[in-house]
Amino acid sequence: MTESPLWPLVVYFFAVIALVLIILGLSSLVGPRSTMQRATIEPFESGVVGIGSSQIPISVEFYLIAMFFVIFDLETVYIFAWAVAFFELGLFGYLAISVFILILVVALIYEWKSGALDWGVKKRVGLRE
Amino acid sequence: MSGLQLQALLPIITLSSLILIQMMFIAFARNLRLTVSISVIALLLTALSFFPMVDHLPISATPLIQLDGFALFYSGLVLLGALMVTFLSYDYLRDQGERQDEFFMLLLLSCLGALILVSSNHFASFILGLELLGVSLYTMMSYPTRGLFTLEAALKYLILSGVSSAFILFGAALIYAIEGKLGFTELAGMNHTSAASGQFILLMGSTMIFAGIMFKLSLAPFHLWTPDVYDGAPAPVTAFLATVSKGAIFALALRLFTTTGLIDLDPLLRGLSFVAMVSILAGNLLALLQDNVKRILAYSSIAHMGYLAVAFVVAGKAGGQIMAMEAASYFLFAYFLTTLLAFSVVTIMSIADHEVDTTNLGDYEGLFWRRPALAAVFTATLLSLAGIPLTAGFIGKFYIFSIGVAAEAWLLMAFVVIGSGIGIFYYLRIIFAMTKAPRTDVKIEIPTASGWVAVVLTVSLVLFGVYPSPIIDLIGELMISFG
Amino acid sequence: MLVIALIGVLIAGGLIAWLSEGWNRDWPKWVSLVTIFLAAILIVPMFSLQPLVHQPDHSEWLLIYDYPWIPRFGISFLLGLDGLSLLMVALTVFLGLVALISSWDEIDKRPGFFQFNLLWTLAGVVGVFVALDLFLFFFFWEVMLIPMYLLIAIWGHERRAYASMKFFLFTQISGLLMLVSILALVLFAEALTGKLSFNYFDLVDLPLDESLSWWLMLGFFIAFVVKLPGFPFHTWLPDAHTQAPTAASVLLAGILLKTGAYGLIRFTLPLFPGAANDIAHVAMLLGAIGVVYGAIQAFSQDDFKRLVAYSSVSHMGFVLIGIYALQEITLQGSVMQMVAHGISTAALFMIAGALQHRLHTRDMNKMGGLWMDMPRMGAIALFFIVASLGMPGLGNFVGEFLVLMGAFQVDLHIAVFAALGLITAAVYSLIAMQKVFQGTPTQGRSLADFNSREVSTMLLMMIGLTLLGIHPQPVFDMVEPTLRGVFTLTSPAGTWLGVSP
Repeated sequence: MTESPLWPLVVYFFAVIALVLIILGLSSLVGPRSTMQRATIEPFESGVVGIGSSQIPISVEFYLIAMFFVIFDLETVYIFAWAVAFFELGLFGYLAISVFILILVVALIYEWKSGALDWGVKKRVGLRE
Repeated sequence: MSGLQLQALLPIITLSSLILIQMMFIAFARNLRLTVSISVIALLLTALSFFPMVDHLPISATPLIQLDGFALFYSGLVLLGALMVTFLSYDYLRDQGERQDEFFMLLLLSCLGALILVSSNHFASFILGLELLGVSLYTMMSYPTRGLFTLEAALKYLILSGVSSAFILFGAALIYAIEGKLGFTELAGMNHTSAASGQFILLMGSTMIFAGIMFKLSLAPFHLWTPDVYDGAPAPVTAFLATVSKGAIFALALRLFTTTGLIDLDPLLRGLSFVAMVSILAGNLLALLQDNVKRILAYSSIAHMGYLAVAFVVAGKAGGQIMAMEAASYFLFAYFLTTLLAFSVVTIMSIADHEVDTTNLGDYEGLFWRRPALAAVFTATLLSLAGIPLTAGFIGKFYIFSIGVAAEAWLLMAFVVIGSGIGIFYYLRIIFAMTKAPRTDVKIEIPTASGWVAVVLTVSLVLFGVYPSPIIDLIGELMISFG
Repeated sequence: MLVIALIGVLIAGGLIAWLSEGWNRDWPKWVSLVTIFLAAILIVPMFSLQPLVHQPDHSEWLLIYDYPWIPRFGISFLLGLDGLSLLMVALTVFLGLVALISSWDEIDKRPGFFQFNLLWTLAGVVGVFVALDLFLFFFFWEVMLIPMYLLIAIWGHERRAYASMKFFLFTQISGLLMLVSILALVLFAEALTGKLSFNYFDLVDLPLDESLSWWLMLGFFIAFVVKLPGFPFHTWLPDAHTQAPTAASVLLAGILLKTGAYGLIRFTLPLFPGAANDIAHVAMLLGAIGVVYGAIQAFSQDDFKRLVAYSSVSHMGFVLIGIYALQEITLQGSVMQMVAHGISTAALFMIAGALQHRLHTRDMNKMGGLWMDMPRMGAIALFFIVASLGMPGLGNFVGEFLVLMGAFQVDLHIAVFAALGLITAAVYSLIAMQKVFQGTPTQGRSLADFNSREVSTMLLMMIGLTLLGIHPQPVFDMVEPTLRGVFTLTSPAGTWLGVSP
């Protein structure tokens, strides 16, 4: 490895700090000053006055769906990586990704059957209600 | 990839496919007995799938997996531990409501992670195995709904374990930055090749990996999570954590340090020696203050890991490597038997009480008169932990002594002697409590599966304490094909 | 096979006794009795081998068994029986019987498990006396601890937790030191001879480096002196003896202490003859301090059992002096003292146990005048008290006399100092006799005297002690080849001048 000089990093570090300070300083100097008024802490929603609390109960299924999204979406990333190198990986790669997809399918079936995809009343196998 | 190499992956493939099959069974025909049977079959089949390879060792299947005698021995231990924990968990979870099936799937997944760990020869498979083992374990800890602190234990372990994984990753990255390689065999003798500035970064990297591993093994000063997690987690899961998880990580650490030549780094070795002493002392001293059996076992495991670390130190000395690995393997074998047995007693005691695990020393008072057989088993376990003859623990301790003396590590030996002396005190306290007059006359039911686990383990504990030659020969044969 | 059968019988008997409790609570003690008789029958043919030793071409070993055990470490199941071992094994089984008789009516809690522990302790002790593989020796050394611990911890008196823990810790930690020494010795021996072996015969008198052999010797020495017990390491003994149930006290004082002395003669001296000579003076001094200190402590006790316990410290001091004077007659004296002290102390503890069983106290100030209530017990107690204070004509006198006679030639000051112990022994023993059996009896007390079972046991011991006192020669003949071997190793220049026919 060749020794690269350290000073650009130091300059960069200070430059970042300086930039942040300048932006904050300018905005407080130049920007409009406002004192605390009744409407200051109101949430601004396109001019409409908000109703009720922002802490509303959300159905737990949303979280489940969000998690599935993360899982299955991340799996696509792997498949993309395989697709890009399709010819280099050849048959072995094809078999490998098939196994991978198979596992995903099995997982999907499991989720389906255990009622994770149902909204509201769950229809699960083998569970007493 | 040749047929032989594919064969080397057979255990992993077998276990993975059986997990999938089990998952389907859970999805379509949820039945706890069925699920557990599949678990048992999966573990046995995996064990069987190792046999065709015995004559062809060592095999490297892909750069990630190295299957040699060492890996084989520890795989056996992992499977044994997982099997015993499966039986214990069945009794423990049977009456706990209806959704207990997935627990056994998680157990198999965790076991798969451990199998990958013990045969991994590359940082990638190391991390992969570690995370597979860990993530399933967090869930297993918080799975049962009984006990007050299962969630706390799981969270504590999750967060601290995450931090330690991050340390390991960063350490691996530092090593990669200097060497440009991640395979253990390729990294052999790396500390001789690089320049002085690289040396420092290498040391940093290996120290970080080392810290991560020490956390997982609960060596002092990274032991603080141990008592809380041991106490909070359900008894069978604690057994799994104490044996399979620690055993697999120890096996990996031993392979990592010996093949990559990290063990030759002098400062690291001195650090290890220090850690061993502190662990022995801290584990034994802190155990004195406890009135909770699980916490005593937690601190005792810290001390045991300290004894085990002696093997590391000896492996670093010239000519001590093979002997140290042999000693560590036997010690760990004895530790597996003993710890599994200890937790099976705790499990059996806990099943009687449906709210929380039975862990207070007071609950064990009079066990000798209420359930003489169970008390005798527990006594044998505690004596094995203390390293008293007629038990496997004694031979393990004897091995540690013999390598320590052979390496002339007198200071370390002094700590082992002092630690063992203090240890006797708290083990005898439990035995003494069991001989007191009983507080209640409530009959303790012994569930079938756990009962058999206890019988099998007790017999092996005594058998291999009196006649250890079969295991010693086995280890000797398997270690030949190391590397 | 005789020796293995002996150990096997004791182990199996223990298990059967434990199991038999399930059918009938009275069975365990009978099983135990049968077991001990079987063991005694097995010892008889061993004695018949005895004359062989004196034939010129026979080795000192009567029997040797060697089976591979853990070949990886060169550990074998090596048992050997010579005169010294035989004597000790016979003493063990005999005192086992005494212990059983002394606890015949005493144990009402878990009798099966009690007999199990009793028999396993005996098995462990027999193992210690015959093991010739160092690993095996250590194995038995530890094995005999656990049942003894349980005996004290479960059936002991008020402070049993403390006493049993102290007993275990002392012996265990010193045992670990010995283990380190054993391992170091074996590994250095391997470097010297190229053979990894725990075999006693491979390790005797190796040309080790002087300072190294000194350190190794120290590991063995401490372990054995703790058990003996020698002066600074004796503190576990009064507690353990006092709190233990009668049977355990009998075994502890009668035979467990002797394992320490046996270890010194069998292992410490032959393995490190040079280093043994270096430490001889210190050891003798410790012995002499033990003699006087034990006597003074015994003098100031109110507790009868504690008094006997401290008198043990005092008497075992003579054994230590005798061994480390390294003279022919002192070695013989030590062995004689071991046997005689074993018997007399066992008897005294049995009496103490009987007193506690009847009076529910061990405090001598609350006794007095018991001779009137129990004349048989009084007479027997008088016999053993004068035996233990060294009355000529009884075994203890022979032992102490020989030890002192030899020690005079080695170190006059130590010998004179130790001889003070004889006087103090007379003082505390007679005071104890006075307090317990003489004086005014308390009115309205009805106490059962020794019954025929107890009297016959006592009679056996009295005959034994008297025989040892007036005709000690058979014992000397038995152990002569062994002691001669030790003597030639430790004093290569000396010639054997022991008491011989």
